[in-house]
Amino acid sequence: MKQDAAVFDNVEAGYGNVRILNGLSFRVAEGEVFGVIGPNGCGKTTMLNALSGMIRPSKGMISCFGKELNRLEAYERCRLGIGRTWQIPRPFAGMSVYENTLAAAVHGAGRKNLLRDRRSGRKESDTALKALEETGLAEKKDMPSGELTLLDRKRLEVARAMASEPRLLLLDEVAAGLTEAETTQITDLVAGLKEKHYTVIWIEHNIETMMKATDRLMCMSEGRNVLTGDPAEVMASETVERLYLGADDE
Amino acid sequence: MMPAGDRTKKGLIVTGVLFMVLFVIGITGIGGSNVLRYGFRILLYITIGEMWNLLSGYAGLTSLGQQAFIGLSGYALAVATTKYGLFYPLGIVAGLVISLGAAFVLSFLLLRIEGMYFSITTWVVAEALGTLFMSLMYVNRGAGMTVSAEPYPRIGTLYLMALVLCFASMITMILLPGSEFGLGVRAMRDDVQAAESLGVNVKRSRRIIYLVAAGFTALAGSLFFLNKGTIYPESGFDIGWTISMVFIVIIGGSGTVAGPVAGAVIYVFLSEILAHYPGWSNMILGAIAILMILFCPQGVIPAIGAAVRNSAKRRRKGSDGCRELDY
Repeated sequence: MKQDAAVFDNVEAGYGNVRILNGLSFRVAEGEVFGVIGPNGCGKTTMLNALSGMIRPSKGMISCFGKELNRLEAYERCRLGIGRTWQIPRPFAGMSVYENTLAAAVHGAGRKNLLRDRRSGRKESDTALKALEETGLAEKKDMPSGELTLLDRKRLEVARAMASEPRLLLLDEVAAGLTEAETTQITDLVAGLKEKHYTVIWIEHNIETMMKATDRLMCMSEGRNVLTGDPAEVMASETVERLYLGADDE
Repeated sequence: MMPAGDRTKKGLIVTGVLFMVLFVIGITGIGGSNVLRYGFRILLYITIGEMWNLLSGYAGLTSLGQQAFIGLSGYALAVATTKYGLFYPLGIVAGLVISLGAAFVLSFLLLRIEGMYFSITTWVVAEALGTLFMSLMYVNRGAGMTVSAEPYPRIGTLYLMALVLCFASMITMILLPGSEFGLGVRAMRDDVQAAESLGVNVKRSRRIIYLVAAGFTALAGSLFFLNKGTIYPESGFDIGWTISMVFIVIIGGSGTVAGPVAGAVIYVFLSEILAHYPGWSNMILGAIAILMILFCPQGVIPAIGAAVRNSAKRRRKGSDGCRELDY
Protein backbone atom coordinates (compact mmCIF):
# COMPACT_ATOMS: atom_id res chain seq x y z
CA MET A 1 0.00 0.00 0.00
CA LYS A 2 1.26 3.43 -0.92
CA GLN A 3 2.23 5.90 1.78
CA ASP A 4 0.51 9.28 2.09
CA ALA A 5 2.81 11.92 0.61
CA ALA A 6 1.05 14.74 2.45
CA VAL A 7 -1.64 14.90 5.11
CA PHE A 8 -3.44 18.01 6.39
CA ASP A 9 -5.50 17.22 9.47
CA ASN A 10 -7.83 20.02 10.61
CA VAL A 11 -5.18 22.67 9.96
CA GLU A 12 -5.70 26.29 10.94
CA ALA A 13 -3.11 28.84 9.78
CA GLY A 14 -2.79 32.42 8.57
CA TYR A 15 -0.77 35.61 8.76
CA GLY A 16 -0.72 37.48 12.07
CA ASN A 17 -4.27 37.66 13.36
CA VAL A 18 -5.81 36.87 9.98
CA ARG A 19 -6.77 33.19 9.78
CA ILE A 20 -6.86 31.85 6.23
CA LEU A 21 -6.98 28.06 6.65
CA ASN A 22 -10.01 27.03 8.73
CA GLY A 23 -9.73 23.36 9.58
CA LEU A 24 -8.32 22.22 6.24
CA SER A 25 -8.07 18.43 5.87
CA PHE A 26 -6.96 16.33 2.89
CA ARG A 27 -4.56 13.55 1.91
CA VAL A 28 -2.30 13.22 -1.11
CA ALA A 29 -1.15 9.73 -2.10
CA GLU A 30 2.43 9.07 -3.17
CA GLY A 31 2.90 9.39 -6.92
CA GLU A 32 -0.28 11.31 -7.71
CA VAL A 33 -0.68 14.73 -9.26
CA PHE A 34 -3.09 16.48 -6.95
CA GLY A 35 -4.71 19.63 -8.29
CA VAL A 36 -6.08 22.42 -6.09
CA ILE A 37 -8.59 24.97 -7.32
CA GLY A 38 -10.70 27.60 -5.63
CA PRO A 39 -11.64 31.26 -5.82
CA ASN A 40 -9.12 34.00 -5.05
CA GLY A 41 -8.34 34.26 -1.35
CA CYS A 42 -9.58 30.76 -0.52
CA GLY A 43 -6.18 29.78 0.94
CA LYS A 44 -4.50 27.78 -1.83
CA THR A 45 -1.13 29.52 -1.59
CA THR A 46 -1.44 29.67 2.22
CA MET A 47 -1.80 25.87 2.16
CA LEU A 48 1.47 25.60 0.20
CA ASN A 49 3.13 28.07 2.57
CA ALA A 50 2.04 25.95 5.56
CA LEU A 51 3.32 22.79 3.89
CA SER A 52 6.68 24.27 2.84
CA GLY A 53 7.27 25.90 6.24
CA MET A 54 6.85 29.56 5.37
CA ILE A 55 4.14 29.79 8.04
CA ARG A 56 3.33 27.53 11.01
CA PRO A 57 -0.16 26.19 11.70
CA SER A 58 -1.83 27.43 14.89
CA LYS A 59 -3.88 24.24 15.10
CA GLY A 60 -3.97 20.82 13.49
CA MET A 61 -1.23 18.63 12.06
CA ILE A 62 0.65 18.55 8.76
CA SER A 63 2.71 15.52 7.84
CA CYS A 64 4.74 14.43 4.87
CA PHE A 65 5.69 10.81 4.15
CA GLY A 66 4.73 9.90 7.70
CA LYS A 67 6.80 12.65 9.37
CA GLU A 68 5.10 15.43 11.29
CA LEU A 69 6.18 18.81 9.90
CA ASN A 70 4.74 21.37 12.33
CA ARG A 71 8.01 21.99 14.18
CA LEU A 72 10.35 21.75 11.20
CA GLU A 73 11.99 24.81 9.61
CA ALA A 74 11.51 25.45 5.88
CA TYR A 75 15.04 24.27 4.99
CA GLU A 76 14.52 21.03 6.95
CA ARG A 77 11.32 20.38 5.02
CA CYS A 78 13.22 20.87 1.77
CA ARG A 79 15.83 18.34 2.86
CA LEU A 80 12.99 15.99 3.85
CA GLY A 81 11.85 16.06 0.25
CA ILE A 82 9.51 19.01 -0.27
CA GLY A 83 10.32 21.28 -3.20
CA ARG A 84 8.25 24.28 -4.18
CA THR A 85 7.80 26.94 -6.81
CA TRP A 86 6.42 30.46 -6.33
CA GLN A 87 3.40 32.04 -7.95
CA ILE A 88 5.49 35.07 -8.97
CA PRO A 89 8.90 33.65 -9.98
CA ARG A 90 11.64 34.48 -7.50
CA PRO A 91 14.95 33.77 -9.26
CA PHE A 92 18.18 34.61 -7.46
CA ALA A 93 18.72 37.53 -9.80
CA GLY A 94 22.39 38.04 -8.98
CA MET A 95 23.20 34.48 -10.02
CA SER A 96 23.28 32.63 -13.35
CA VAL A 97 20.59 30.11 -14.28
CA TYR A 98 22.99 27.25 -13.48
CA GLU A 99 23.97 28.75 -10.12
CA ASN A 100 20.27 28.98 -9.21
CA THR A 101 19.83 25.24 -9.63
CA LEU A 102 23.26 24.49 -8.16
CA ALA A 103 22.28 26.30 -4.94
CA ALA A 104 19.24 24.01 -4.67
CA ALA A 105 21.30 20.92 -5.49
CA VAL A 106 24.00 21.78 -2.95
CA HIS A 107 21.77 22.88 -0.08
CA GLY A 108 18.67 20.79 -0.68
CA ALA A 109 19.63 17.61 -2.48
CA GLY A 110 23.30 17.76 -1.51
CA ARG A 111 22.75 17.93 2.23
CA LYS A 112 20.04 15.29 2.08
CA ASN A 113 22.01 12.79 0.03
CA LEU A 114 25.54 13.49 1.17
CA LEU A 115 26.35 9.90 2.15
CA ARG A 116 24.72 8.36 -0.92
CA ASP A 117 26.48 10.80 -3.23
CA ARG A 118 29.88 10.11 -1.71
CA ARG A 119 29.40 6.40 -2.30
CA SER A 120 28.23 6.81 -5.88
CA GLY A 121 30.67 9.61 -6.73
CA ARG A 122 27.80 11.74 -8.00
CA LYS A 123 28.16 15.48 -7.88
CA GLU A 124 25.67 18.26 -7.18
CA SER A 125 26.65 19.87 -10.49
CA ASP A 126 25.22 16.80 -12.29
CA THR A 127 21.95 17.18 -10.40
CA ALA A 128 21.78 20.89 -11.27
CA LEU A 129 22.51 20.30 -14.97
CA LYS A 130 20.03 17.41 -15.16
CA ALA A 131 17.27 19.65 -13.78
CA LEU A 132 18.11 22.28 -16.41
CA GLU A 133 18.05 19.69 -19.21
CA GLU A 134 14.71 18.30 -18.07
CA THR A 135 13.14 21.75 -18.05
CA GLY A 136 14.65 22.88 -21.35
CA LEU A 137 16.98 25.47 -19.85
CA ALA A 138 20.33 23.78 -20.46
CA GLU A 139 21.26 26.14 -23.30
CA LYS A 140 20.61 29.17 -21.11
CA LYS A 141 22.57 27.95 -18.11
CA ASP A 142 25.13 30.77 -18.18
CA MET A 143 22.56 33.56 -18.58
CA PRO A 144 21.88 35.88 -15.62
CA SER A 145 18.60 34.55 -14.23
CA GLY A 146 17.20 38.08 -13.97
CA GLU A 147 17.25 38.34 -17.79
CA LEU A 148 15.02 35.31 -18.45
CA THR A 149 11.56 35.60 -20.05
CA LEU A 150 8.50 34.82 -17.91
CA LEU A 151 8.18 31.30 -19.36
CA ASP A 152 11.85 30.59 -18.68
CA ARG A 153 11.55 32.02 -15.17
CA LYS A 154 8.66 29.62 -14.55
CA ARG A 155 10.80 26.80 -15.95
CA LEU A 156 13.64 27.87 -13.67
CA GLU A 157 11.26 27.72 -10.69
CA VAL A 158 10.49 24.09 -11.58
CA ALA A 159 14.16 23.31 -12.35
CA ARG A 160 15.31 24.71 -9.03
CA ALA A 161 12.70 22.75 -7.12
CA MET A 162 13.67 19.59 -9.06
CA ALA A 163 17.36 20.17 -8.34
CA SER A 164 16.58 19.89 -4.63
CA GLU A 165 15.48 16.31 -5.48
CA PRO A 166 12.03 16.46 -3.90
CA ARG A 167 9.65 13.57 -3.39
CA LEU A 168 6.78 16.04 -3.15
CA LEU A 169 6.72 18.98 -5.54
CA LEU A 170 4.50 22.00 -4.82
CA LEU A 171 3.61 24.04 -7.91
CA ASP A 172 2.00 27.43 -7.35
CA GLU A 173 0.29 28.65 -10.53
CA VAL A 174 3.14 27.79 -12.87
CA ALA A 175 0.95 28.59 -15.89
CA ALA A 176 -0.25 31.99 -14.64
CA GLY A 177 0.51 34.89 -16.97
CA LEU A 178 1.64 32.67 -19.85
CA THR A 179 0.31 32.65 -23.41
CA GLU A 180 -1.69 29.63 -24.62
CA ALA A 181 1.34 28.14 -26.37
CA GLU A 182 3.50 28.68 -23.30
CA THR A 183 0.82 27.17 -21.06
CA THR A 184 0.88 24.02 -23.22
CA GLN A 185 4.65 23.81 -22.82
CA ILE A 186 4.49 24.16 -19.03
CA THR A 187 1.58 21.67 -18.81
CA ASP A 188 3.64 19.15 -20.76
CA LEU A 189 6.45 19.76 -18.30
CA VAL A 190 4.16 19.01 -15.34
CA ALA A 191 2.73 15.94 -17.12
CA GLY A 192 6.33 14.76 -17.53
CA LEU A 193 6.85 15.05 -13.78
CA LYS A 194 4.23 12.38 -13.17
CA GLU A 195 6.11 9.99 -15.45
CA LYS A 196 9.21 10.68 -13.38
CA HIS A 197 7.28 9.52 -10.28
CA TYR A 198 7.12 12.84 -8.49
CA THR A 199 4.17 13.47 -6.21
CA VAL A 200 2.81 16.88 -7.17
CA ILE A 201 0.44 19.31 -5.49
CA TRP A 202 -0.50 21.81 -8.15
CA ILE A 203 -2.41 25.04 -7.70
CA GLU A 204 -3.78 26.58 -10.87
CA HIS A 205 -6.54 28.94 -11.96
CA ASN A 206 -6.67 27.54 -15.47
CA ILE A 207 -9.15 24.68 -15.12
CA GLU A 208 -8.48 23.20 -18.57
CA THR A 209 -4.80 22.95 -17.77
CA MET A 210 -5.57 21.19 -14.51
CA MET A 211 -7.99 18.71 -16.09
CA LYS A 212 -5.28 17.48 -18.47
CA ALA A 213 -2.63 16.55 -15.96
CA THR A 214 -4.16 15.88 -12.52
CA ASP A 215 -5.23 12.57 -10.98
CA ARG A 216 -7.47 14.14 -8.36
CA LEU A 217 -8.75 17.62 -7.77
CA MET A 218 -9.57 19.46 -4.55
CA CYS A 219 -11.77 22.53 -4.53
CA MET A 220 -11.13 24.91 -1.63
CA SER A 221 -13.29 27.68 -0.24
CA GLU A 222 -12.71 29.88 2.82
CA GLY A 223 -9.76 27.79 3.90
CA ARG A 224 -11.60 24.49 3.79
CA ASN A 225 -11.72 21.44 1.54
CA VAL A 226 -15.12 21.64 -0.17
CA LEU A 227 -14.79 18.65 -2.44
CA THR A 228 -12.06 16.25 -3.50
CA GLY A 229 -12.21 13.57 -6.16
CA ASP A 230 -11.88 12.74 -9.84
CA PRO A 231 -11.27 16.01 -11.76
CA ALA A 232 -14.27 15.53 -14.06
CA GLU A 233 -16.58 14.75 -11.14
CA VAL A 234 -15.35 17.71 -9.12
CA MET A 235 -15.85 20.06 -12.03
CA ALA A 236 -19.33 18.66 -12.65
CA SER A 237 -20.35 19.26 -9.04
CA GLU A 238 -22.97 21.98 -8.50
CA THR A 239 -21.25 23.12 -5.29
CA VAL A 240 -17.98 23.69 -7.12
CA GLU A 241 -19.74 25.41 -10.00
CA ARG A 242 -21.49 27.76 -7.60
CA LEU A 243 -18.41 28.44 -5.51
CA TYR A 244 -15.69 28.58 -8.07
CA LEU A 245 -17.35 29.53 -11.32
CA GLY A 246 -20.02 31.81 -9.82
CA ALA A 247 -22.99 30.17 -11.61
CA ASP A 248 -26.32 32.04 -11.45
CA ASP A 249 -28.91 30.76 -8.99
CA GLU A 250 -32.13 30.69 -10.92
CA MET B 1 28.16 36.30 -16.78
CA MET B 2 31.66 35.17 -15.77
CA PRO B 3 31.56 31.81 -13.93
CA ALA B 4 32.26 32.04 -10.17
CA GLY B 5 35.37 29.85 -10.55
CA ASP B 6 36.96 32.24 -13.10
CA ARG B 7 36.08 35.28 -10.98
CA THR B 8 37.65 33.62 -7.94
CA LYS B 9 40.87 32.82 -9.82
CA LYS B 10 41.12 36.34 -11.25
CA GLY B 11 40.42 37.87 -7.83
CA LEU B 12 43.04 35.71 -6.11
CA ILE B 13 45.71 36.57 -8.70
CA VAL B 14 45.05 40.32 -8.51
CA THR B 15 44.96 40.21 -4.70
CA GLY B 16 48.13 38.10 -4.55
CA VAL B 17 50.06 40.54 -6.74
CA LEU B 18 48.79 43.52 -4.73
CA PHE B 19 49.75 41.76 -1.51
CA MET B 20 53.29 41.16 -2.74
CA VAL B 21 53.73 44.83 -3.78
CA LEU B 22 52.38 46.13 -0.45
CA PHE B 23 54.44 43.55 1.45
CA VAL B 24 57.63 44.77 -0.23
CA ILE B 25 56.69 48.38 0.69
CA GLY B 26 56.21 47.26 4.31
CA ILE B 27 59.47 45.30 4.51
CA THR B 28 61.66 47.90 2.80
CA GLY B 29 59.88 50.97 4.19
CA ILE B 30 59.94 52.69 0.76
CA GLY B 31 58.35 56.12 1.09
CA GLY B 32 59.06 56.43 4.79
CA SER B 33 56.91 56.20 7.90
CA ASN B 34 54.16 58.46 6.54
CA VAL B 35 53.41 56.01 3.72
CA LEU B 36 53.29 53.17 6.25
CA ARG B 37 51.06 55.20 8.59
CA TYR B 38 48.58 55.99 5.81
CA GLY B 39 48.85 52.43 4.54
CA PHE B 40 48.13 51.07 8.02
CA ARG B 41 44.94 53.17 8.31
CA ILE B 42 43.76 52.31 4.82
CA LEU B 43 44.34 48.58 5.39
CA LEU B 44 42.33 48.64 8.64
CA TYR B 45 39.48 50.54 7.00
CA ILE B 46 39.48 48.12 4.06
CA THR B 47 39.15 45.26 6.58
CA ILE B 48 36.21 46.74 8.46
CA GLY B 49 34.65 47.88 5.17
CA GLU B 50 34.91 44.38 3.67
CA MET B 51 33.32 42.92 6.79
CA TRP B 52 30.45 45.41 6.77
CA ASN B 53 30.06 44.58 3.08
CA LEU B 54 29.89 40.89 4.01
CA LEU B 55 27.22 41.60 6.60
CA SER B 56 25.08 44.03 4.65
CA GLY B 57 25.96 43.35 1.02
CA TYR B 58 25.87 39.55 1.22
CA ALA B 59 23.77 38.57 4.23
CA GLY B 60 21.35 41.49 4.32
CA LEU B 61 22.35 42.23 7.94
CA THR B 62 22.67 46.01 8.07
CA SER B 63 24.41 46.33 11.41
CA LEU B 64 24.90 49.76 12.96
CA GLY B 65 26.69 48.27 15.97
CA GLN B 66 29.99 46.85 14.68
CA GLN B 67 31.79 49.35 16.93
CA ALA B 68 30.84 47.03 19.80
CA PHE B 69 33.56 44.60 18.66
CA ILE B 70 36.09 47.38 18.08
CA GLY B 71 35.52 48.65 21.63
CA LEU B 72 35.54 45.19 23.21
CA SER B 73 38.75 44.13 21.48
CA GLY B 74 40.43 47.46 22.24
CA TYR B 75 39.59 47.18 25.92
CA ALA B 76 40.59 43.50 26.03
CA LEU B 77 44.00 44.48 24.61
CA ALA B 78 44.36 47.33 27.14
CA VAL B 79 43.34 45.15 30.11
CA ALA B 80 45.56 42.24 29.01
CA THR B 81 48.66 44.40 28.51
CA THR B 82 48.18 46.96 31.32
CA LYS B 83 46.50 45.00 34.12
CA TYR B 84 48.05 41.59 33.47
CA GLY B 85 51.27 42.63 31.76
CA LEU B 86 50.72 40.20 28.88
CA PHE B 87 52.65 40.38 25.61
CA TYR B 88 50.45 42.35 23.16
CA PRO B 89 49.78 39.46 20.70
CA LEU B 90 48.07 37.69 23.61
CA GLY B 91 46.01 40.82 24.16
CA ILE B 92 44.96 40.74 20.50
CA VAL B 93 43.95 37.07 20.87
CA ALA B 94 42.02 37.94 24.05
CA GLY B 95 40.18 40.69 22.16
CA LEU B 96 39.30 38.25 19.39
CA VAL B 97 38.04 35.58 21.81
CA ILE B 98 35.97 38.05 23.86
CA SER B 99 34.45 39.64 20.75
CA LEU B 100 33.60 36.26 19.22
CA GLY B 101 32.04 35.16 22.54
CA ALA B 102 29.99 38.35 22.72
CA ALA B 103 28.96 38.02 19.05
CA PHE B 104 27.92 34.40 19.59
CA VAL B 105 25.73 35.29 22.59
CA LEU B 106 24.32 38.41 20.91
CA SER B 107 23.55 36.50 17.71
CA PHE B 108 20.81 34.55 19.50
CA LEU B 109 19.05 37.84 20.28
CA LEU B 110 19.92 39.92 17.23
CA LEU B 111 19.41 37.37 14.45
CA ARG B 112 15.78 36.90 15.50
CA ILE B 113 15.18 40.51 14.50
CA GLU B 114 14.68 41.55 10.89
CA GLY B 115 15.46 44.63 8.80
CA MET B 116 15.42 48.08 10.34
CA TYR B 117 14.76 46.67 13.82
CA PHE B 118 17.97 44.61 13.55
CA SER B 119 19.94 47.74 12.62
CA ILE B 120 18.54 49.76 15.52
CA THR B 121 19.03 46.96 18.05
CA THR B 122 22.68 46.47 17.06
CA TRP B 123 23.24 50.21 17.57
CA VAL B 124 21.47 50.14 20.96
CA VAL B 125 23.60 47.16 22.08
CA ALA B 126 26.83 48.98 21.13
CA GLU B 127 25.65 52.14 22.91
CA ALA B 128 24.76 50.09 26.00
CA LEU B 129 28.24 48.55 26.01
CA GLY B 130 29.78 52.03 25.75
CA THR B 131 27.67 53.21 28.70
CA LEU B 132 28.63 50.10 30.67
CA PHE B 133 32.35 50.70 30.11
CA MET B 134 31.84 54.35 31.07
CA SER B 135 30.69 53.23 34.51
CA LEU B 136 33.01 50.23 35.11
CA MET B 137 35.73 50.99 37.64
CA TYR B 138 37.68 47.93 36.38
CA VAL B 139 38.40 49.83 33.14
CA ASN B 140 38.87 53.25 34.81
CA ARG B 141 35.37 54.39 33.84
CA GLY B 142 35.41 57.30 31.39
CA ALA B 143 39.09 58.07 32.14
CA GLY B 144 40.10 55.38 29.67
CA MET B 145 43.02 52.96 29.61
CA THR B 146 46.52 52.79 28.21
CA VAL B 147 47.75 49.96 26.01
CA SER B 148 51.12 49.01 27.53
CA ALA B 149 52.75 47.11 24.72
CA GLU B 150 56.33 46.20 25.61
CA PRO B 151 58.25 46.23 23.32
CA TYR B 152 56.07 48.72 21.45
CA PRO B 153 55.62 47.62 17.81
CA ARG B 154 57.07 49.89 15.15
CA ILE B 155 54.84 51.30 12.41
CA GLY B 156 56.38 48.83 9.93
CA THR B 157 55.32 45.89 12.13
CA LEU B 158 51.82 47.34 12.61
CA TYR B 159 51.56 47.89 8.85
CA LEU B 160 52.51 44.28 8.11
CA MET B 161 50.01 42.96 10.69
CA ALA B 162 47.27 45.15 9.15
CA LEU B 163 48.31 43.95 5.68
CA VAL B 164 47.93 40.28 6.64
CA LEU B 165 44.57 40.97 8.31
CA CYS B 166 43.31 42.99 5.36
CA PHE B 167 44.27 40.36 2.83
CA ALA B 168 42.78 37.60 4.94
CA SER B 169 39.50 39.54 4.90
CA MET B 170 39.73 40.07 1.13
CA ILE B 171 40.52 36.41 0.44
CA THR B 172 37.53 35.45 2.59
CA MET B 173 35.37 37.70 0.43
CA ILE B 174 36.87 36.36 -2.82
CA LEU B 175 36.46 32.70 -1.87
CA LEU B 176 32.98 33.14 -0.43
CA PRO B 177 30.85 33.46 -3.60
CA GLY B 178 32.25 30.31 -5.25
CA SER B 179 32.01 28.11 -2.14
CA GLU B 180 29.05 25.91 -1.22
CA PHE B 181 28.39 28.11 1.78
CA GLY B 182 28.70 31.24 -0.35
CA LEU B 183 26.24 29.89 -2.89
CA GLY B 184 23.65 29.67 -0.12
CA VAL B 185 24.57 33.13 1.15
CA ARG B 186 24.19 34.66 -2.32
CA ALA B 187 20.83 32.94 -2.72
CA MET B 188 19.83 34.27 0.71
CA ARG B 189 20.95 37.79 -0.32
CA ASP B 190 18.63 37.71 -3.34
CA ASP B 191 15.61 36.10 -1.66
CA VAL B 192 15.59 34.76 1.89
CA GLN B 193 12.35 32.76 1.64
CA ALA B 194 13.17 31.21 -1.72
CA ALA B 195 16.63 30.25 -0.44
CA GLU B 196 15.17 28.67 2.68
CA SER B 197 12.64 26.72 0.63
CA LEU B 198 15.57 25.25 -1.35
CA GLY B 199 17.39 23.97 1.72
CA VAL B 200 19.56 26.93 2.75
CA ASN B 201 19.84 27.10 6.53
CA VAL B 202 19.42 30.87 6.76
CA LYS B 203 19.80 31.16 10.55
CA ARG B 204 23.06 29.19 10.60
CA SER B 205 24.47 31.05 7.59
CA ARG B 206 23.66 34.41 9.15
CA ARG B 207 25.26 33.38 12.45
CA ILE B 208 28.49 32.28 10.73
CA ILE B 209 28.66 35.57 8.81
CA TYR B 210 27.95 37.62 11.91
CA LEU B 211 30.76 35.81 13.77
CA VAL B 212 33.27 36.15 10.89
CA ALA B 213 32.51 39.89 10.59
CA ALA B 214 32.81 40.34 14.37
CA GLY B 215 36.15 38.50 14.42
CA PHE B 216 37.81 40.51 11.65
CA THR B 217 36.38 43.80 12.98
CA ALA B 218 37.71 42.95 16.46
CA LEU B 219 41.21 42.25 15.11
CA ALA B 220 41.16 45.56 13.23
CA GLY B 221 40.05 47.29 16.46
CA SER B 222 42.93 45.72 18.42
CA LEU B 223 45.48 46.90 15.85
CA PHE B 224 43.99 50.37 15.79
CA PHE B 225 44.25 50.79 19.58
CA LEU B 226 47.64 49.11 19.66
CA ASN B 227 48.80 51.92 17.39
CA LYS B 228 46.88 54.63 19.24
CA GLY B 229 48.04 53.55 22.71
CA THR B 230 44.92 54.66 24.61
CA ILE B 231 41.25 53.75 24.59
CA TYR B 232 38.18 55.56 25.97
CA PRO B 233 34.55 54.36 25.90
CA GLU B 234 33.64 57.16 23.48
CA SER B 235 36.46 56.23 21.08
CA GLY B 236 36.03 52.44 21.28
CA PHE B 237 32.25 52.33 21.02
CA ASP B 238 31.88 55.37 18.77
CA ILE B 239 29.10 55.14 16.13
CA GLY B 240 31.61 56.94 13.90
CA TRP B 241 33.20 53.53 13.25
CA THR B 242 30.03 52.22 11.67
CA ILE B 243 29.47 55.50 9.80
CA SER B 244 32.91 55.06 8.23
CA MET B 245 32.13 51.43 7.28
CA VAL B 246 28.84 52.47 5.66
CA PHE B 247 30.54 55.36 3.84
CA ILE B 248 33.31 53.09 2.54
CA VAL B 249 30.85 50.53 1.18
CA ILE B 250 28.50 53.14 -0.34
CA ILE B 251 31.33 55.01 -2.04
CA GLY B 252 33.23 51.92 -3.20
CA GLY B 253 30.29 49.67 -4.08
CA SER B 254 28.32 47.09 -2.15
CA GLY B 255 28.60 43.38 -2.90
CA THR B 256 32.06 43.66 -4.52
CA VAL B 257 35.51 42.90 -3.07
CA ALA B 258 37.19 45.87 -4.76
CA GLY B 259 34.47 48.31 -3.64
CA PRO B 260 35.61 48.67 0.00
CA VAL B 261 39.24 48.96 -1.18
CA ALA B 262 38.40 52.03 -3.28
CA GLY B 263 36.02 53.29 -0.58
CA ALA B 264 38.67 53.02 2.16
CA VAL B 265 41.31 54.86 0.12
CA ILE B 266 38.84 57.67 -0.64
CA TYR B 267 37.63 57.76 2.98
CA VAL B 268 41.11 57.96 4.55
CA PHE B 269 42.30 60.74 2.23
CA LEU B 270 39.01 62.67 2.54
CA SER B 271 39.02 62.44 6.33
CA GLU B 272 42.66 63.55 6.34
CA ILE B 273 41.78 66.67 4.30
CA LEU B 274 38.60 67.32 6.28
CA ALA B 275 40.48 67.07 9.59
CA HIS B 276 41.43 70.70 8.95
CA TYR B 277 37.74 71.65 9.07
CA PRO B 278 36.48 70.30 12.42
CA GLY B 279 32.70 70.41 12.73
CA TRP B 280 32.28 70.36 8.94
CA SER B 281 33.93 67.02 8.23
CA ASN B 282 30.95 64.75 9.07
CA MET B 283 28.55 67.06 7.22
CA ILE B 284 30.73 66.97 4.10
CA LEU B 285 31.18 63.19 4.30
CA GLY B 286 27.39 62.84 4.71
CA ALA B 287 26.74 65.12 1.74
CA ILE B 288 29.15 63.10 -0.43
CA ALA B 289 27.43 59.85 0.60
CA ILE B 290 23.99 61.32 -0.27
CA LEU B 291 25.24 62.54 -3.66
CA MET B 292 26.69 59.09 -4.36
CA ILE B 293 23.39 57.40 -3.44
CA LEU B 294 21.50 59.80 -5.73
CA PHE B 295 23.79 59.82 -8.75
CA CYS B 296 25.93 56.68 -8.52
CA PRO B 297 24.05 54.28 -6.21
CA GLN B 298 26.08 51.24 -7.29
CA GLY B 299 29.37 52.82 -6.08
CA VAL B 300 32.63 53.75 -7.77
CA ILE B 301 33.95 50.29 -8.68
CA PRO B 302 30.76 48.88 -10.27
CA ALA B 303 30.29 52.22 -12.10
CA ILE B 304 33.84 52.04 -13.53
CA GLY B 305 33.23 48.39 -14.49
CA ALA B 306 30.01 49.31 -16.31
CA ALA B 307 31.71 52.22 -18.10
CA VAL B 308 34.56 49.97 -19.27
CA ARG B 309 32.09 47.32 -20.52
CA ASN B 310 30.00 49.95 -22.36
CA SER B 311 33.08 51.46 -23.97
CA ALA B 312 34.22 47.99 -25.13
CA LYS B 313 30.75 47.36 -26.58
CA ARG B 314 30.84 50.69 -28.42
CA ARG B 315 34.30 49.88 -29.79
CA ARG B 316 33.06 46.49 -31.03
CA LYS B 317 30.05 48.11 -32.69
CA GLY B 318 32.32 50.72 -34.28
CA SER B 319 34.67 48.12 -35.73
CA ASP B 320 31.69 46.09 -37.06
CA GLY B 321 30.49 49.26 -38.80
CA CYS B 322 33.90 49.72 -40.46
CA ARG B 323 33.79 46.16 -41.71
CA GLU B 324 30.38 46.81 -43.27
CA LEU B 325 31.77 49.85 -45.07
CA ASP B 326 34.68 47.79 -46.38
CA TYR B 327 32.28 45.42 -48.04
